[in-house]
Amino acid sequence: MASVSTYNSNSLEDTSRRLSSRDGMSLEESSTLPHIPGESPVIDKDVIYVCPFNGAVKGKVYITSYRLYFRSQDLDSPVICDVPLGVISRIEKMGGASSRGEHSYGLDITCKDMRNLKFALKQEGHSRRDIFDILTKYAFPLSHNLPFFAFLNEEKFSEDGWKVYEPVREYVRQKYPADKWRITFCNQTYALCDTYPQCLMVPYDATDEDLHKVAAFRSRGRIPVLSWIHPENHAVIMRCSQPLVGMSGKRNKDDEKYLDLIRETNGQTQKLTIFDARPNVNAVANKATGGGYEGEDAYQNAELLFLDIHNIHVMRESLRKLKDIVYPNVEESHWLSSLESTHWLEHIKLVLAGAIQVADKVSSGKMSVVVHCSDGWDRTAQLTSLAMLMLDSYYRTIIGFEVLIEKEWISFGHKFASRIGHGDKNHADADRSPIFLQFIDCVWQITKQFPIAFEFNEQFLSTILDHLYSCRFGTFLYNCESVRQKEGVREKTVSLWSLINSEKIKYTNPFYSRETNGILYPVASMRHLEPWVNYYIRWNPRVRQQHNPVEQRYLEMLALRDDYLRRLKELQESNSPKRANSGNSTSAMVSQVQTRF
Amino acid sequence: MLSGSKSSFKIKQLAPELQVNMRAKFAGTYDEKNGTLGFKCLPGEYIKQAATHVKKYVPSRCGKTFIWGSLFCTNFRISFVPQVKGHNTEKTSNQIILNREHDVVLACIDRVVGVTGQSRSKVLTANSIVRGLLEELVIYCKDFRELHFQFGYRTPQSECIQISTTIAQSYQELSTDHLLTIQRDSTTLWRFDHDSLIRKDVFGTQMFEALQDWEDELMRMGALGWRVSPVNERFDMSTSLPKYNVVPSALLDTDLQKMFTLFNERRIPRLCWHHPRGSDFLRMAYFQTNTDPEKEDMRIVEMLMLACHSQCVLVDVTDDLPNPSEIQTAHVKLRNLCMAFESSVAESDEKWLSTLENTHWLEYVRLCLKKSWEVASLLAERCLCAVLQEPEDRDLNCLVASVVQVMSEPHFRTIRGFQSLIQKEWVVAGHQFRQRLNFARDKDKEESPVFLLFLDCVWQLLQQYPTSFEFTEAYLLAVHDSTHIPFFSTFLSNSQRERQKTNQHLPSEQSYTPVNGWSNLSSRDNLLSGNYLLSKEKTSLPVVWEWSLQYDSHYQALFTNPYYSDSTANTVLNGSIDIQGTVKSDPGCIGSCSVYLLSKGSLSLQTQYLPWKTGSGPKKGSRRAHSVESLSELERSLRKKSVVPVSTDGILLPLLVGPFIRLWKRCYLRGSQGAEVVASVPDSEFLTEEMMFLQTCLKELQLSLDSYSDKKHASTETYSAFRSHFRSGPP
Repeated sequence: MASVSTYNSNSLEDTSRRLSSRDGMSLEESSTLPHIPGESPVIDKDVIYVCPFNGAVKGKVYITSYRLYFRSQDLDSPVICDVPLGVISRIEKMGGASSRGEHSYGLDITCKDMRNLKFALKQEGHSRRDIFDILTKYAFPLSHNLPFFAFLNEEKFSEDGWKVYEPVREYVRQKYPADKWRITFCNQTYALCDTYPQCLMVPYDATDEDLHKVAAFRSRGRIPVLSWIHPENHAVIMRCSQPLVGMSGKRNKDDEKYLDLIRETNGQTQKLTIFDARPNVNAVANKATGGGYEGEDAYQNAELLFLDIHNIHVMRESLRKLKDIVYPNVEESHWLSSLESTHWLEHIKLVLAGAIQVADKVSSGKMSVVVHCSDGWDRTAQLTSLAMLMLDSYYRTIIGFEVLIEKEWISFGHKFASRIGHGDKNHADADRSPIFLQFIDCVWQITKQFPIAFEFNEQFLSTILDHLYSCRFGTFLYNCESVRQKEGVREKTVSLWSLINSEKIKYTNPFYSRETNGILYPVASMRHLEPWVNYYIRWNPRVRQQHNPVEQRYLEMLALRDDYLRRLKELQESNSPKRANSGNSTSAMVSQVQTRF
Repeated sequence: MLSGSKSSFKIKQLAPELQVNMRAKFAGTYDEKNGTLGFKCLPGEYIKQAATHVKKYVPSRCGKTFIWGSLFCTNFRISFVPQVKGHNTEKTSNQIILNREHDVVLACIDRVVGVTGQSRSKVLTANSIVRGLLEELVIYCKDFRELHFQFGYRTPQSECIQISTTIAQSYQELSTDHLLTIQRDSTTLWRFDHDSLIRKDVFGTQMFEALQDWEDELMRMGALGWRVSPVNERFDMSTSLPKYNVVPSALLDTDLQKMFTLFNERRIPRLCWHHPRGSDFLRMAYFQTNTDPEKEDMRIVEMLMLACHSQCVLVDVTDDLPNPSEIQTAHVKLRNLCMAFESSVAESDEKWLSTLENTHWLEYVRLCLKKSWEVASLLAERCLCAVLQEPEDRDLNCLVASVVQVMSEPHFRTIRGFQSLIQKEWVVAGHQFRQRLNFARDKDKEESPVFLLFLDCVWQLLQQYPTSFEFTEAYLLAVHDSTHIPFFSTFLSNSQRERQKTNQHLPSEQSYTPVNGWSNLSSRDNLLSGNYLLSKEKTSLPVVWEWSLQYDSHYQALFTNPYYSDSTANTVLNGSIDIQGTVKSDPGCIGSCSVYLLSKGSLSLQTQYLPWKTGSGPKKGSRRAHSVESLSELERSLRKKSVVPVSTDGILLPLLVGPFIRLWKRCYLRGSQGAEVVASVPDSEFLTEEMMFLQTCLKELQLSLDSYSDKKHASTETYSAFRSHFRSGPP
């Protein structure tokens, strides 16, 4: 699509005025820069972009309250970098005033989306001081007591993304049996658990008082609550954090009773299956810090399975290694062994394999399951949401997937702020980890294996990831619902789903077939997992940015067919007014055809 | 006799007389005419052993599934016939010789593994002794299929052992003689119902056996200055070259005749392809260095090679590419890995990527693509002459020559063009299919799947440019699998001459035409009893392009790529584009030509490229003197090109970095765990059908639009087609 010479890093949704020298219009700078309502210019400067692919490019960098935008002087084949400031993870000065060597003095910018940018400046005076200071200030608003851009964004969309997820509506959609389960607002003030949402689904027979007792025995009060219920066999997926067993092997009757209640609520289950996402040794090690896992003696009607998924630090390291082999240069001859040594796909495989086990237990085994890791906001969210995606075709629609993210990730307190480090200059924070990216990668793997089972396309997934970092929308800001409420995110910011749902066609998979509503069991084997090239390697201009050509061809043909149909109908109507019958049949046919797609 | 040998059964006990008994037994048991158990013998085929109540494992998305049926081993194949409820009602086309799902030709069997009670696996050979209860039988095929059979408790153990050992014996005893027998038998096979087999389904493939095909091709390419020489018409110049070869018009056949001895295998330089902008693409064997040509002869050699260009690039394919034995080693490793012979899948899964890398197969694919990429860009970039060189010009020259053409010209990305290309650069060009594919298992040292490596290269292009090919992955798979069935003349011989001879040697007088048609013709006994009319027509083995011998029309429909966008395929390469460029760069033929060698992605100027002393005169400088020139404009342009792979003028230049050279999973992983994901056929089949339908609709609508404007009435058929489709529509 993008011409090759255009090193076009613009995968973000800035469809606003695009730079084009062929317009014949005078290139009035400000008018040709992409701009979203609420965005204001801050500074611009002549720089040299030290492109790792095409060498040094002279041009100008524009910094606004939302983005860093570089454009080359050469307007015939412009080189453009469009980077939302939220994407920036680290800004460093490279070289000193006395540095020798070409382009050795300037700024080195590390991004969260698998790329680095280097800008060289003239070694005169303190030419980079102002730009460095301004960039640092706007890229890391949290560290400078400034608001996120999401709070300044004045975009208006035809759809309101904040209305996509409404917890009660979602639980009702799952058709829970009202005599067995109940919705409780006992966490209205976030007193039960400050990282859980207000609205929770619990066994009908468990009183609010019981819940408070259980909370005392679960890490950070994250008690087992319902994520999903099977519409037919009523087996459920529950999520929670680890029990506070500790070194002494503490027990808690209320917790034991509560888990047994969960087992009983689904009449068919003899045993309750508890999936501990961690490797066994890690679970044991957690006892030292007061955590642990459900012991056999205490929970006699439960079986405990470990899923061997590693912690956030391992995943962060793995992604770092992956970046090393894809940016800026892609390994050529030893690609496969290099890829293997990052272990990224292996981790993906373990997460997928775990989710398959969860889904299979609920569906084939008709058993209720409880999923937890340590705190129940990273691996647990991955497992429950992936299992739900496999089990329930609703989550494979665009809206359904938005609901899934809102519910399992955002409302249940995946710590987006800590894991992504929105607006925080502390790039080395040990809390950062690509857990959500890993989840989206898993989803991508499933879409690859089931190409017609999903309503959304690849661009939908990469757009979500782009705005995971961009801070243009309020969707992923902050760690949990209570903070979000305090900050007034819903009132003061725009939702990412507003953008997406206003332009749904762009994110729609044309091959989607609603009929594929069964359970999807992807194959979690290294043989069948692939690196997500269109995401991880998209900055490399040597790699064609392919929008799926087959998809495009299909759309072209659909358009062509519609055109033929239209012309046929026109001809018929204009030329044979007598033969009203056949005219009707055409329009009947046309409508029939159109409903099919 | 067989009782009491429950735990141990020696195959050698299966004496010939027993086999005869077996045959008699089965001849009695199974009504072969109608195939009570659904099995039909082909002409010349007879059942050696059978077992009933066998379960065959079928991979599916919802766990393991088995189907019940009977297993047969004949002198020709293994066949599994599923139990069909009711009578055999499904109409199977009589023309199709093999069931792609349940049949394996003996020649395609790679190994046979028996699993005994203690779930111990053992490779079965002709002399194997099976100890313990034989429960499972796994057939590993050369085409990467795996057939798993389980014996039910209703199958007598002796039957299990007999069929397993018969299979193990039969596939291993294949020899050249045996192969010839089968070929002879199979020729009778093709003769039945001959009328329907008239080569109607070869997609108009040019065989390049007759002069006309060469003339047509020359016309199509618009290669002025070239002619088809019949000098080798009787194969007396070179036995391995085709009858007809394209050489510069300026050379007379009398001059040409003297040239052959100067090259290995007498394989002279000749034209493969002509670029519309003037570049020529040639292939040749190495020079015969121990000859002593005269000066005049060397002038002719130069004329042959340089073809009046001012720049010539020699491409020695042995330089950066694997040799045939390396390719074979890689392929064996790949097969062992993909079919998980030794280790269990779970164990090796974590190391899958590095193990895959260690097979070097993908690396070889990449190197071949890279070399072809360089040549294709050179040919497109400027007006020059590129010459492929290989010691014998019969392996990698075939591969590079054809990949370059697939990259360069849309015509070769159509089914017709692709098949013609294989004919031109492999079949008649003298690729030694007999050795390389080693059907008779007597050429183990020379076995090398160079042709399969080529198919993989094409698959890589197809998956990077999914809308640029008229054919599909299913089609490439069909070509791939056909190479393992030794019944097509296409892949049986080493040269056009040999093919012609084989066909002559086939028993034309003994060729049979069944009296009562196909269904009565079933076993060798029938054959021998002479229930046939002798046919006087000349016999020949069929060519592989007669796809209806192998696939029904439903499957063949999957060969055509519904997403194919043929916008570039129709541009005729007739040299009409920018001929001026051609003229300009041709100052004065011989003597003023700079010759470069393309190696390791760069060009270096050659002063002495002929092996004989009195070589090209004008440039006498030493190599060193010209090393500066090696950074010529030509090379720089080459380098520049390699930075940005683009597709211009219909050239497909693939991405070569690691992540883009992929494993052809639908081919190599079809037998393995999770294969059902790779063969996500229902999905893609559905899509394909949808697209096909859409295209037909488009065509019909267009037609009816046209006729509408003419006759002022619309075609109602189109509507009904639409309606019926969307009512009955796909799931």
